[in-house]
Amino acid sequence: MEVSNRLIDLQNITKIYGETEVLSDINLYIRKNEFLTLLGPSGCGKTTTLRIIGGFEYPTKGRVIFDGKDITNDPPYKRRVNTVFQKYALFPHLNVYDNIAFGLRIAKMDKKQIALKVGKMLELVNLQGYEKRSVDSLSGGQQQRIAIARALVNEPEVLLLDEPLAALDLKLRKGMQLELKRMQQALGITFVFVTHDQEEALTMSDTIAVMRDGKIHQIDTPKHIYDEPKSAYIANFIGESNIIRGTMIQDELVHFCGQDFVCVDSGFDKNEEVDVLIRPEDLHIVGTDVAQLTGLVKSVLFKGVHYEMIIEAGGFEWKVHSTVMAPEGSQVGLSVIPFDIHIMRVEKEESDPGGEE
Amino acid sequence: MNLSPFGIGLIVFSGVLFVFLIAYGFKVHHGMHRSIFSSPYTVWMILFTVVPLFLIGYYAFTDVNGKFTLENFANFWDSNREMKRQLIGMGFSLEEMGMTARGSVNVDTLVYSLKMAFGCTVICLLLGYPAALLIADRKFKLGPTIIILFIIPMWMNFLLRTIAWMSLLEDNGLINSLMTRLGLPKLKLMYNTRAVLLGMVYNYLPFMVFPIYNALSKQDVRLSEAAQDLGANNFLTFWRVVFPLSMPGIVSGITMVFMPSVTTFFIPRVLGGGNTEMFGDLIERTFLTADNWNVGSALSLLMMVLILMSISLLRKVDPEGEGGSFV
Repeated sequence: MEVSNRLIDLQNITKIYGETEVLSDINLYIRKNEFLTLLGPSGCGKTTTLRIIGGFEYPTKGRVIFDGKDITNDPPYKRRVNTVFQKYALFPHLNVYDNIAFGLRIAKMDKKQIALKVGKMLELVNLQGYEKRSVDSLSGGQQQRIAIARALVNEPEVLLLDEPLAALDLKLRKGMQLELKRMQQALGITFVFVTHDQEEALTMSDTIAVMRDGKIHQIDTPKHIYDEPKSAYIANFIGESNIIRGTMIQDELVHFCGQDFVCVDSGFDKNEEVDVLIRPEDLHIVGTDVAQLTGLVKSVLFKGVHYEMIIEAGGFEWKVHSTVMAPEGSQVGLSVIPFDIHIMRVEKEESDPGGEE
Repeated sequence: MNLSPFGIGLIVFSGVLFVFLIAYGFKVHHGMHRSIFSSPYTVWMILFTVVPLFLIGYYAFTDVNGKFTLENFANFWDSNREMKRQLIGMGFSLEEMGMTARGSVNVDTLVYSLKMAFGCTVICLLLGYPAALLIADRKFKLGPTIIILFIIPMWMNFLLRTIAWMSLLEDNGLINSLMTRLGLPKLKLMYNTRAVLLGMVYNYLPFMVFPIYNALSKQDVRLSEAAQDLGANNFLTFWRVVFPLSMPGIVSGITMVFMPSVTTFFIPRVLGGGNTEMFGDLIERTFLTADNWNVGSALSLLMMVLILMSISLLRKVDPEGEGGSFV
């Protein structure tokens, strides 16, 4: 990646509160027009990272570079970024119009132009005619959109969003996800989005940075993160997964459940202990005669699009997603193609995976 | 005090009212209800607030013989009225004696009280707002300590606190003996309007600080951050967001300082030495020294109307009375 394409560059950011290290040596760059998501469980430091970009916190160590300039110690009002806060933080003493016009008035723009811009913004967020309403009279979804309009009207180069959809119900959240993605593409603004919702991250982002304990664990496109998680932790956090301990016999051959399986990964030591990931939708229910593993169906749950079955085979309880149901108590065969077997290096310390989901 | 049949009637009436209230509670709630627990308080309120209020109204509109009159209010306007009436009754001519002029003591005292209360409120606001701002600042570690320092003196009776100021301000008090030690001339600190104002501000300042502090500390920090995020520097953040949102606290602070300020008594007498009588002292003097319950009641009633008017005026600024939640 060319340096000039980096709009925001976080260099060796460390943040210490008292004696707790919230962020340890974060290095992260954000490209122009990128939709980057900071994903992780609560307490992983994702919000702190966002607040450092916004200027609400200053790093204990490290530098924040914005468009080639060091802005590490600049206060928020000097930065060309705007924020959509978690609980919106709309000004309760101002009506919708005055809330959106706040930044423009500070910038001393003339009245006609303010009126024009605010009108356009209300159109963008689909709330025309709400100018005179008090913000308290709006629903959560509407407040959310006003908060976005209030930030976007200033035409920031970067929009920071701190779990902006967390307070909305599922249906509204899905709608807003698409809406936000549409706005980002239409306006050509860089978005830095914080969430603990992996599905939201997968849907919206160009790039996802998975954070854990104040470190960036993996940074990649949503597809790569899902398909090639770097560790069992990420595999567990993003999507559902079966993770089993195995041994690498040689390149492209792994041993688990007492059998050898052909896979596509290489570059591991001979007989290295590894984590094997197979996504529930990659396990196929087949006849016992052609199966790689055979087992007993222990439970069946209907999930709408698919059935979720727990199948005990080879001494492991496999989670299987399939549109075909195998009845509880029946004997079935399982197969998986080599491409869907993902080999990951074992993490040094085994800690509780997953988040608050 | 000689209670007229009217007064006794009032007490009987309040007793009946009380019984009725409880009976009504039983009827509405089909038996005993939690509201019954409020009855001791209700009785207390009726006996010591409602009944005295009616009595004040009764005295204000009657003369010594218990007959209806507006004379007491006329007395407020012309404080010499009673004297003039007696002189005329003795056969003197007011013109000849040069006694026609209106006695303006009562009105003047009221105006002086209002001025003092206004001054005290303004000073309290000017001192109290920055203090509240500082205490409410989360980064300011001494905040809780300062709150305690504000509260501790309030555990003491305000008469004692005021008298304590005497030993500081006296001609041979702490400040002046320090001045002498330093070879500076003594200062005339007591027995003037400034000393009274000082005593008032000292006594009422916490009532300004706490409601404002309360309003400020309840404010979401995110709102200030949002303002900063939208380009407002520290001053604009304060002016456009923090200050307007603390308005309920200011209104409630002003109410809580202005009301007791207008009715201040004792402080002017101790620190002002009688040169600076305020309306509270006048009422007290009318009741206890002049022993004129009728005029005293009329003055109290006027005071009450004035206070109610100023409250309702403030209510218009802060209809929800949010800032008042401290009280």
